Amino acid sequence: MARLLSLHDVHVRFNTAAGVVRAVSGVSLDLAVGETVGLVGESGCGKSTLGKAIMKLVPIAGGEIIVDGVDIAPLNRTELINMRRKVQMIFQDPYGSLNPRSTVGRSIAQPLVIAGWKPDATAERVETLLRWVGLPADAKQRYPHEFSGGQRQRIGIARALALSPKLIICDEPVSALDVSVRAQVINLLEDLKTQFGVSYLFISHDLSVVEHIADRVAVMYLGTIVEAGGRDQIWRSPQHPYTKALLAAAPIANPRAARARQRTVLQGELPSALDPPTGCPFHSRCPIAQDRCKMDKPALRPVGGGALAACHFV
Amino acid sequence: MERFAIVGRFARNRGALVGALLILVVALAALLAPLFFPIDPLRIVGAPELWPGEDPAFPLGTDSLGRDMLAMIVHGARATLLIGLFASAVATVIGVSVGATAGYFGGWIDEGLMRAAELFQTIPNLIFVLTIVVILGSTLSNIVIAIGIVSWTSIARMTRAEFLALRDREFVQACRSMGMGDLKIIVAEILPNALPPVIVLSSLVVAGAILFESAVSFLGLGDPNVASWGRLVGDGRQLIRSSWYISAIPGVAIMITVLCLNLIGDGLNDALNPKLRDR
Amino acid sequence: MALPLEVRGLSTTLFTRRGEMKAVDGLSLSVGAGETVALVGESGCGKSLSALSIMRLLPDPPARLVGGEVKLNGRDIVTLTEEAMLDIRGQEIGMIFQDPMSSLNPVATVEKQIVEVLRTHTDLGRAAARERARELLELVGMPDAGRRLDAYPHQLSGGMCQRVMIAMAIACSPSVLIADEPTTALDVTVQAQVLALLKKLQTDAGMAMIFITHDLGVVAETADRVVVMYAGRKVEEASVDDLFDAPLHPYTAGLIGATPTPGAARAARLADIPGMVPPLNALPAGCAFAPRCPRVMERCRRERPELSRPTPGRLVACFAAEKDFAPKDGA
Repeated sequence: MARLLSLHDVHVRFNTAAGVVRAVSGVSLDLAVGETVGLVGESGCGKSTLGKAIMKLVPIAGGEIIVDGVDIAPLNRTELINMRRKVQMIFQDPYGSLNPRSTVGRSIAQPLVIAGWKPDATAERVETLLRWVGLPADAKQRYPHEFSGGQRQRIGIARALALSPKLIICDEPVSALDVSVRAQVINLLEDLKTQFGVSYLFISHDLSVVEHIADRVAVMYLGTIVEAGGRDQIWRSPQHPYTKALLAAAPIANPRAARARQRTVLQGELPSALDPPTGCPFHSRCPIAQDRCKMDKPALRPVGGGALAACHFV
Repeated sequence: MERFAIVGRFARNRGALVGALLILVVALAALLAPLFFPIDPLRIVGAPELWPGEDPAFPLGTDSLGRDMLAMIVHGARATLLIGLFASAVATVIGVSVGATAGYFGGWIDEGLMRAAELFQTIPNLIFVLTIVVILGSTLSNIVIAIGIVSWTSIARMTRAEFLALRDREFVQACRSMGMGDLKIIVAEILPNALPPVIVLSSLVVAGAILFESAVSFLGLGDPNVASWGRLVGDGRQLIRSSWYISAIPGVAIMITVLCLNLIGDGLNDALNPKLRDR
Repeated sequence: MALPLEVRGLSTTLFTRRGEMKAVDGLSLSVGAGETVALVGESGCGKSLSALSIMRLLPDPPARLVGGEVKLNGRDIVTLTEEAMLDIRGQEIGMIFQDPMSSLNPVATVEKQIVEVLRTHTDLGRAAARERARELLELVGMPDAGRRLDAYPHQLSGGMCQRVMIAMAIACSPSVLIADEPTTALDVTVQAQVLALLKKLQTDAGMAMIFITHDLGVVAETADRVVVMYAGRKVEEASVDDLFDAPLHPYTAGLIGATPTPGAARAARLADIPGMVPPLNALPAGCAFAPRCPRVMERCRRERPELSRPTPGRLVACFAAEKDFAPKDGA
């Protein structure tokens, strides 16, 4: 399969008053055409920052981001606008991602206007987009505050779809939504994928949602990918101790299964990204850590079944 | 719909409503002054120092030269309001531009602009205004510009704070991710969201500007061709012991106008602040 | 002996400019010692306002308790004065909130905040209270408890702040604990820690617990019994196994279908519930769920179903579910 997105050893650093935060340190990841890759991890693991780096919303400190065969780092303004036709983003907060003082129609039309569409074609396109995401045509004259969270997320999806992108980066798109509405939005994303062949990089902390939507999954911890592989592979036989702990901690909506399973509750909390542990980033919480893990950072390597894991002991 | 809702919330605030009505009266008087008092208000029309009520032809009396106080107050409203509005406009334009640039770009641009603003804040305002007026000359436009130059810092700070809060919101990131240019994001996306508190502050700057102009005129540095209220107060000061009404009447007019502007500012604040809705 | 908590016909109305809205409409529930009752529903269903009503902590205006009784260990606390409530809160009934960071006073140390609770409700001396605070922090599994006493909330992570909140809530061994989305703001591994901690504390002390959440996964992990709320009313109540095995109310069934279950065979689509929760000031006549319901009948649009008991131990407010259990003709 053709590669739509390739990340090679991507680093992102932030300079803060307290020191340098290594939000992303050395992430490599591929995403094929038509594929949905889930990026899972707890808050502060760098998954959202990575998504923003792909959109060039934050600068990278090293490595390469290649979209559809083109390295995005040296692009000038016009080339960037071209690149952005191929990649769009859906944001987490349905209340914050729309300008409260712009009509819905104007918000959805923004990418078209920037791409130089004529007003007639833009208006027609906006109506088509509203229909695709299941909103009434009169929504375009209304303001975001007249819509519920789920409807606003549909508006955000319509805006992301405007220029028929090949890849949509979904940054926690359903985390702020209620259960019943969340299912609607997930189903909509899946329908759009079938209809238009769009690929998703699906960033989420919610394992059950990622498991439902993703073909492949990458698990992040403290700025690095600790395990990556096919969805079934990861869920049936997780290799990395962090992936195991994450799966064990995720609540299961089934009381009998929840009681039956063995729970090893992971101790401790995420270390600060300001002062990450030496060696393996997970060693401070790892149940099987040994002396070697404190010095030696394990690399991602094949662990069978097409999966990769970064652990000395798997 | 949204607009009407704001008017409705504004009108619920009694004080703001009274303030707005009184300001409307003052503005109408200012607009229609030539209609009511077609002759030059600075012409001598009667006996000097007539107390209010002494002669029915001059309800508010006459000043030391025998000029009609009421005509001067009504004509003075024009000068006073215009000075207030224009000075506030100057301050708002400077303040919003500086604040938006500082807040949006951050970093050393922010540092530089905010240090400059602090420099302006450390100089006593009135003395600064007087200095500018003395150097540039006592014309109406110089006074307006001088007041604008000392009043923009608070607006710049407010705008900067709003921009700082808004620039990391996801809708701004969405615009950036689409490749929208900085200027367009600042003007078309962030500014409309940042304006409500700035408008409130601007209405208060109008009140402040009127007080500044009064002080300048009172000290005899106002435009000699314009009968603003401040100048009327100043003109009456030699007779403050005998005919105190000459200073008091324009003084009361200034007080009421400034009070009303403050009430309007409060009302706008409540009306534009979404957190207070539905309470 | 009286149950730790018995709520009957609790009604809370929001008085706003847009009119009166029944945010909680005739809620009844009881919690036994050592039992966990989960209060489940989507945002706006009235679950948090129910908890605040029980605690008598409603934001007034706009919310006011308009009816019902809340019996805490047999005593009705609805009619008590605010002063009497001050004694009861923290002493007999404790509460943990969703956002631990903003529930703690940012300018007071952890020790000061716990000691304050202890000194309000007990006659412990300063030194004894300090010692007890340290014990409590150890009890809630705070790493390095002795040192954390002098920490300020901003120096602690979200999970640690929630542990402090729990320590404060259980400081006087209340018989009832209300946990309002206590893990929603936490990461999944920390959530697992906090859930395990709450379960352990509850079992050890035999507390009655109301656990408010929107997450059915958390419900399945923690609850003994479940109360499902929709638009201010209880629509179903059952033991956690019964509820997940065979939900009776179409809304409950919809919620369960809409929740992806890890490890299950991959469904082609999630079963979504069309439409959205109606605003409280525009509730439909009849059953509030009727416009979204896959089993809606003519009757549902006219008439509001009351709670009925189709089988022992279960309650449901739904005409379609009643019909399923009605004796068949000729049988």
